[in-house]
Amino acid sequence: MAMKLILSDRPFHIPIKNVDSIKFIDLSSLEIANCVGCFGCWTKTPGKCVIRDDAVKIYPDIAKSDTLLYISRLKYGGYDTVMKTMLERAIPVQQAFLRILNGEIHHVQREVVPKKATIIAYGAMDREERDVFEHLVERNAYNMNFESYQVIFSEESQLEETVKNEVKKWEKS
Amino acid sequence: MGKIIILNGSPRAPKSNSRRYAEIFVQHCSCENEYFNILKTNHHELCSRLSGFTDLLFVFPLYADGIPVTLLNFLKTLEQNPPRNKPVVSILINCGFLEYRQNDTAVKMIELFCKQNGYRLGSVLKIGSGESILDTPFRLLAVRQIKKLSASITKAKYRVLQTTMPLTPNMFVKASTSYWINYGKKNGITKEQMESMEIES
Repeated sequence: MAMKLILSDRPFHIPIKNVDSIKFIDLSSLEIANCVGCFGCWTKTPGKCVIRDDAVKIYPDIAKSDTLLYISRLKYGGYDTVMKTMLERAIPVQQAFLRILNGEIHHVQREVVPKKATIIAYGAMDREERDVFEHLVERNAYNMNFESYQVIFSEESQLEETVKNEVKKWEKS
Repeated sequence: MGKIIILNGSPRAPKSNSRRYAEIFVQHCSCENEYFNILKTNHHELCSRLSGFTDLLFVFPLYADGIPVTLLNFLKTLEQNPPRNKPVVSILINCGFLEYRQNDTAVKMIELFCKQNGYRLGSVLKIGSGESILDTPFRLLAVRQIKKLSASITKAKYRVLQTTMPLTPNMFVKASTSYWINYGKKNGITKEQMESMEIES
């Protein structure tokens, strides 16, 4: 069954009513090592990362979810360390093999459900940083199977409210 | 003449393609240079060395559409520990896809780091098909551009360069499929196993 997943780089107290269909994961509370670029998940143990830490519980959830909410601080126009570390560790959801998608080369996906993604980004310093991040998410859409996405920039002080509003929309839908 | 510090930001730095690209750069570099892998443990040491160099060349792969965490974390340390004299920052990036333009977002990230922290951006070399080009007859295309990159930094005539295999997307997919099948074979894994749709099951 498809699920709704919230991946956050910090803890939140969000009242979630539909706990059976919405899962919240605070990445900052988990042990997730850096990807070492060994290609083991493509060429040794396909679909499984050789590093057996908390990341191996997360990327199957990413693959299964049809609705995603990523919450991340920005750094240099990209996801900051906590979220980026997890996204790099999620490559077991792809195969080594390549395909042509919209005229460009991308990896073949394993069993990854197409997603409606929302990314709430906080800590942007200026318009330029927001532009770079929007470019990044546009690229992610091809490689992470987003069938649609929206990027919401939030002030850090407004973050909890912004997140709660998005979750409320999910619960209504 | 300047002095270049080359920092490899690949997560598998000692065994990386980025290292091979850096080695080619060093072979064709006429000015003084030093090479280091970025490790979790040497950020402060690298930051303290930077003042002695006119140029800094980051060599790294595209990772999840952006800069690898290995490099991101180093940049954050560098932001907190800037050198007295800031070198000009150049980039040698490679991605496994045919299109070198898929590196553009990562280049913009480094550009943003430079702007936010008062560094001048120098030359950029974007390599497509970077996982395999060095092991094909098209190696010479990569070497030619790396030589140009080296000359541009040495002469402080900074420029943007790019290269990839001159193949159609269909030909590239076919060639890359053979490449990965052989990669799996060395580990005793078949094409069918590599094509598994299962994730952690």
